[in-house]
Amino acid sequence: MKRTSLWRNGFFGVAALLFAVVMAVSAGTAIAAKENVVKIGNIIPLSGPSASVGVQNQYACDLATEMINNAGGIKSLGGAKLVNIYVDSKSDPTVGVSSAEQLINNDKVNILSGCWNSAVTYPTTQVAEKYGIPFIVPVSVRNTITERGFKYIFRIAAKDAWWARDQFKFLDDMQKSRNVSLKTIAFVYENGDWGVGMAEQWKPLAAQYGYKIVLDEPYPSTSSDLTPVALKIKKANPDVLLLTSNASDAILLNNTMAEMKVKVKAIVGTGGGHADPMFRKNCGKNAEYMFDVVEWETDLGKAGIPEVNAEFKKRHGYDLAGESVDAFASVFVIADALERAASLDPKKIRDALAKTKLCSGPGMIVSYDCVEFDETGQNKNAGIVMVQYRMIGDSLERVSVWPESAARKGFKTVFPMP
Amino acid sequence: MDTILQGIVNGTLIGSIYGLAALGLTLIFGVIKVINFAHGSCLMVGMYAAYWAVKLLGIHPYLAMVIVVPALFFFGYLMQDIVIKPVLKAQSDVREPTEVIIVTTGVWYILDNVTLMIFGAEYRVIQTSISGKIFELGDLIISKPKFYGFIATIVVSLALVWFLKYTKMGKSIRAASLDREAASLMGINQYRVYNIAFGIGTAIMGVVGCALIPFYYVFPTVGVIFDVKCFIIVVLGGLGSIPGALIGGVIVGLIESMGAQFMTSTWTELIVYVVFLAVLFVKPAGLFGSKLDW
Repeated sequence: MKRTSLWRNGFFGVAALLFAVVMAVSAGTAIAAKENVVKIGNIIPLSGPSASVGVQNQYACDLATEMINNAGGIKSLGGAKLVNIYVDSKSDPTVGVSSAEQLINNDKVNILSGCWNSAVTYPTTQVAEKYGIPFIVPVSVRNTITERGFKYIFRIAAKDAWWARDQFKFLDDMQKSRNVSLKTIAFVYENGDWGVGMAEQWKPLAAQYGYKIVLDEPYPSTSSDLTPVALKIKKANPDVLLLTSNASDAILLNNTMAEMKVKVKAIVGTGGGHADPMFRKNCGKNAEYMFDVVEWETDLGKAGIPEVNAEFKKRHGYDLAGESVDAFASVFVIADALERAASLDPKKIRDALAKTKLCSGPGMIVSYDCVEFDETGQNKNAGIVMVQYRMIGDSLERVSVWPESAARKGFKTVFPMP
Repeated sequence: MDTILQGIVNGTLIGSIYGLAALGLTLIFGVIKVINFAHGSCLMVGMYAAYWAVKLLGIHPYLAMVIVVPALFFFGYLMQDIVIKPVLKAQSDVREPTEVIIVTTGVWYILDNVTLMIFGAEYRVIQTSISGKIFELGDLIISKPKFYGFIATIVVSLALVWFLKYTKMGKSIRAASLDREAASLMGINQYRVYNIAFGIGTAIMGVVGCALIPFYYVFPTVGVIFDVKCFIIVVLGGLGSIPGALIGGVIVGLIESMGAQFMTSTWTELIVYVVFLAVLFVKPAGLFGSKLDW
């Protein structure tokens, strides 16, 4: 008897709850349908090891969206407002894929964006391609994302091949101009898609430039202790150390190497964790003189940067990073395409995106002149800057040093690292 | 040769800290027969407590234990009393209450996400007076915070063993863990014993938190990194066994540290699991687990 009544109560309770939920959801969609909005589904890591960069991404998108909406929204769509829907990918590819399905089928988003981690972006973009929904990739750099002949995928950031190419170009430049001989090289990278992809680019380049690879070490980003990795670097004693790290491991590895007194002539990072403002805050002097490849820096002499950065810093207490700028610019690229498409038909948005040539406006605080996509959907102008970490006063700053044209005035590259 | 010795030293030191973290888990299991899935989150709470104590009061991280450890004790005590006890009572005729596992999993998610809401996803590292400090013996480099963590492990384990052996409460805890009904008949309030055992298990996480923050960063899901390790260590050493947790911790630390000298560190995780399975195969109760029970 007891069991039946419990079942009944339970059943009615659940039924009532379901009813309430259905009502609420349908009410919500009814309101949404009446409002003139364009929905952007953002799949980014908001918890887990990449959460801090994911959140920065979100903040940057919010700021850009607010700027566009305050300026009147999408005029060709009757002043339609952009609305961001954020879904936490947890840096997990399967979550990314299921979120994309949900955003497309349930939330009926018009455009997708994400996913920061290349490992998540790679399968998730496949879902967007299947449904024919335009997908903007602000930061995931793995080459193959735009090399599958997809029509609906557009990437703002440079491919990892370009990052690797410029890392080696920089080292070569330094060898020649500073008369430093660099013979041996070590690769240390997180063992996800991104790190492994970078290492694949590095190997042929190392051969081409005549380096001897003395260490090739993928490591798990979620390690609780990176002393073993630091010890291996010390033992291999390379001239150059190339790193690809996510945020938490970048901090841990850097501080552990300092503790273990690892000395190399040049440490070069690959953005990501090394570009995270948390890295600067948490490493301080331990990271001084290290180099990092970025797409963007606060000290670049481009109009609009100081204002946007000041506003961002006012809200969140830290500077924009290269990746947040890509996310920021991506919203303006979307707005520009929508303006030209003058329609919410995914095919028309896609065609407008393919014809993008965005060179001015408040969103163009990127380091290069224009956003333009080639036939694979890759932004062909994405450029790269080398920065060096320097202590200025009490804080660690990123100073643009290479190419010479982008270098901050009054600073000289310190090479090799002391 | 140097790196081998260095690896052994580092593996032992970091392994002992893993062991200390696993100690709380093994104690709670040994007494209440509950696998506390919120264990990593308790560690996270301990680390945040230590972080804010050092940051706001400007005190030495080890001095912060004076505040953090009692705070974590009450945190664990109340968690057991308010959240877990009702479920335990509802299942009082079951020997190993499985529903509690679901409850602790819920606590884990709630704690992690509430922390994410309050403190945000960012990584926090605090520069303390011993962060990055080292002892140098010839070429051998020993990290001071890890060394003190090792000392803390020894002190806490000895204190715990003494407490369980010689105090009245300790004896009650052991009695309740052996047979909760017989213990109740002898006049032991089993739920009070559980509260205290849970409190102690959590208080140990306060010690670990204070030992970790000079060299490790804090973020809302930091517990997950240590959680999996703790479970492996506890099962490897034998569920409910105190020396088992410590030795298990050192074994895992050594495998991670030494394995990486011979292969990429991606593979050392595999070795940990292979050793884990091999031990279970040969000795299903774990290294120090008795066949019967604790």
